[in-house]
Amino acid sequence: MDWRQLFYHVMNMFNVLIVAYFFIGNGIYTFLMILSLISVWIHNRRLTYQGLDELRESVVTPPATIIMPAWNEQDIIVQSVSSILKTDYPNLEVVVVDDGSTDETLVRLVNAFRLVEMDLIYRPRLPTRPIRGFYMNPRIPNLLVISKDNGGKPDALNVGINTCRTPYFCTLDSDCLLERDALLRLMQPVVRSPQNTVASGGIVRILNGCDVQDGQVVKVGLPQGRVERFQVVEYLRSFLFGRTGWNLLGGTLIVSGAFAVFHRETVIDAGGFKHDTVTEDMDLIVQIHHWAIHKKRKIKMNFTSDPVCWTECPATLANLSKQRRRWQMGLFQTLWKYSEMLFNRKYGVLGMMSYPFQLYIEGFGAAVEFLGYFMIPMALMLGIVPPTLFVLFVVLGLVYGSFLSVGAVLLEELTYRRYPGFKDLSTLLVFAVIENIGYRQLVLYYRFQGLVRFLTGFRSWEKVVHVGATE
Amino acid sequence: MPFLIEHITEVVLSIVVIVLLGTGALVAMAIGRRQRREKYFERLDDLRQRYGPIVAAIFSKKIDYDRGLEALKGITGLDRLYFLEQLLFEKTPTPAQVPILNQLCEDVGLIKVWQSHLTGRFDVASIREALARPEGILQRVGKLNFILKAKSAENLGLIHHRPSWPLLAKALNDPHPDVQSVAARALAAIGETESFPALLARLHDIILHPSSVLSLRSVKSALVSFPLNEAQRLMPSLQHEHPRIRFLAVDIIREMVEREAALNEEFVLDASIFGPELGEILLTHCCFDDNGDVRARSAPIIAYLADVRATPVLLTLLDDPQWFVRLHTVRALAKRKFLSQGEHICQRLTDAHWLVREAAAQTLLVFGHAGVDLLADHMLSTQDRYSREQIADEMQRTGLIPTLLTQYATSADQRETRVLAQLADLGKTSYMLATLISSSDRNLRKKFLADFGTHSDPRIRAWVKKLATFEPDTEIRRVAVNMIGKALDETEA
Repeated sequence: MDWRQLFYHVMNMFNVLIVAYFFIGNGIYTFLMILSLISVWIHNRRLTYQGLDELRESVVTPPATIIMPAWNEQDIIVQSVSSILKTDYPNLEVVVVDDGSTDETLVRLVNAFRLVEMDLIYRPRLPTRPIRGFYMNPRIPNLLVISKDNGGKPDALNVGINTCRTPYFCTLDSDCLLERDALLRLMQPVVRSPQNTVASGGIVRILNGCDVQDGQVVKVGLPQGRVERFQVVEYLRSFLFGRTGWNLLGGTLIVSGAFAVFHRETVIDAGGFKHDTVTEDMDLIVQIHHWAIHKKRKIKMNFTSDPVCWTECPATLANLSKQRRRWQMGLFQTLWKYSEMLFNRKYGVLGMMSYPFQLYIEGFGAAVEFLGYFMIPMALMLGIVPPTLFVLFVVLGLVYGSFLSVGAVLLEELTYRRYPGFKDLSTLLVFAVIENIGYRQLVLYYRFQGLVRFLTGFRSWEKVVHVGATE
Repeated sequence: MPFLIEHITEVVLSIVVIVLLGTGALVAMAIGRRQRREKYFERLDDLRQRYGPIVAAIFSKKIDYDRGLEALKGITGLDRLYFLEQLLFEKTPTPAQVPILNQLCEDVGLIKVWQSHLTGRFDVASIREALARPEGILQRVGKLNFILKAKSAENLGLIHHRPSWPLLAKALNDPHPDVQSVAARALAAIGETESFPALLARLHDIILHPSSVLSLRSVKSALVSFPLNEAQRLMPSLQHEHPRIRFLAVDIIREMVEREAALNEEFVLDASIFGPELGEILLTHCCFDDNGDVRARSAPIIAYLADVRATPVLLTLLDDPQWFVRLHTVRALAKRKFLSQGEHICQRLTDAHWLVREAAAQTLLVFGHAGVDLLADHMLSTQDRYSREQIADEMQRTGLIPTLLTQYATSADQRETRVLAQLADLGKTSYMLATLISSSDRNLRKKFLADFGTHSDPRIRAWVKKLATFEPDTEIRRVAVNMIGKALDETEA
């Protein structure tokens, strides 16, 4: 076999691989979409008798702490903390951890809430960087602000866990706004489940374009920017049918740390948030599964689509690229770290389905698809792929992407209908279709960069700048 | 290879067409759904406008009930009952509205439908309603009927429909956890005492058969909401051989007692509420139970008992080998009537477990001035650094430092000075300095400067240095300068 034959052979193999990826990946996505359609529809009906009032008033509802790590968030921190202090939950504590901000984050908090520095006892059960000070206002006894040396988000979260006194804690990003009853809704499956539910995740929606008053979203709207609108569709797809579907299968591997509830003792026993990955939320979930299997503990993780947390999404391509590179890099770091789970029967659905899906479809799939954009045209030029088939595949790729995105918009329409206007619905449908031309490829490029960074050992966290929701 | 590609082309083309049609169908579904919802809300808004004021007037008794009921008959169509339900349950009913709502639901036929749903029976009204909406039919298909059952149970609970309790008690054994859970909640809302044993039996069942689909919290929450005099029915559970049943029984009583106590500051558990036997079991069995959790949860109940043996029993529990028993007992003593036990509580300030130390400090603070005095005295007398730190922690968290400084400025007593010295020695100076900086009391600052100006705490040193440089009051500035000199002399010496 000469080099030319070898090259042709490799090209052929790659094309087959791309086709296989295409059908397997989209097949799984379609399966998840159908599962989610059924699951979310039923869940939506179950909401009519969920008894939130009873949960709010019941003495057996466990107390909870919201832990909010913050680093250089001076523009949004006061609004965010004001918002969470209004959360509708019995027995709520709030711990804000200023991770050594170099801006006015701490000063603004101290001034806004009239906090006083106190020298409180710190009992670290998880190792963390040193504490600089505790700030409290005795008139707001459920708010504690902690200033510490910079150590990254996982370190800040661990400080929060060390000071948390309640059996459950909720992690919340400082750029997020919680709907008033979101925590109550998030705790609902924890309280009602007969199994030991150690993590419960809610849906994260995009704040850009919404009207905010007193730290609460008062009018839901679509953002003006195209980059943000594409992300609205992406988030719907990711949360409404990605996570819902995996939750139904019992294969939850990702719970967004932007808004999730955890059982404190389980997290401490599992070792807390780790610093060796850039997606500490996914890392913790996988770590808890890993710990539970090794310790032979029966645990449950839950994803619920009705508790809503609003977050500011990147409005510029520069910020979007940072976010996506980090997500992809973190995905690989976590999967690499727990590689023993791959096709490991001990882990059940997680090891046999969820982990391989994340690795091969979400992880390597991005690389295969990205390279496909170069290899298939090359194969076309070399005559390996007939032009008709090439065109058909391109069309199929676009159409299938649109099918899945439109499915996510439909799911939203069938259930929560957060975007009220007919114009919003039509805009979402249009963006669900056109996101496959240009935007998808761009995100794919960022994800490919994330993979390259993982392979080259790049470790640092790229900060996405938040400008704050306008009131 | 070409052979494969030719075939693939046809397959891919077919898939493209199918997916394209699928996408189109999804778009059409989304738009269609939106239009249907808009029509639905138009109808609902119209009904709200026309009948909302009538419903409100019936609730507020502004119109005659029969006239109002007659007017509601104006709602027609297959989905009449569905929309009536929407209108009547628009807002959570107030306790005063519940009997009227109950009667309304009875008279319009909703209760009959809900009861039919709950028992899985079909009746004409239910079928008519099902035919009105596509999902109405779907919810009656096979396994999905749990939605209807649970919703019906919820509604019956909301209106406190007492005659339905046997159906709800039966629903506690429904195959679906949602129905069980909502039925438990509805039984709690209705509060029919005869349903208590059914819930209790379910609780036993969950503990003895851990594979149960109903959560323990749901049943416990339901049992807790019953009146306190129902607690007597828990006596067999308190003596059950399974420790978890004993624990839950005592914990349910604790929750009931604490709920009553929250409503009445002078609350006391005497035989008229509690019955003599229950108190006896608590004082003679529960507090000596093999299971630490049972002992721990009995302490808060015993603390309310009107019995001379209660305090000695609590003092015994205060020295229990299990730290969490001591913790619950210390917390149980956080009532003014136990002020005389302050010395015993103070002993727990040196407990080996920090949560007990913390609870002891918090309990003493509940006693007001007397408790603060006890804390201060203990802080000055103890050699236990952990205990001192815990007291300092509570003093800061509860905002006692400004009060302490005010007393220090005005009182001739040396105790405040010594407490402040202890705080400074422990390095707990941030709060006191923040108070001093923001204080307009010149004498306080002067006195503090004179007493603590040479203290080795770096924060105090920095503050004195700042005063010596920037303080506009020349006298204070002079004292600060002197203090810096004195501190230097002391360091050199």
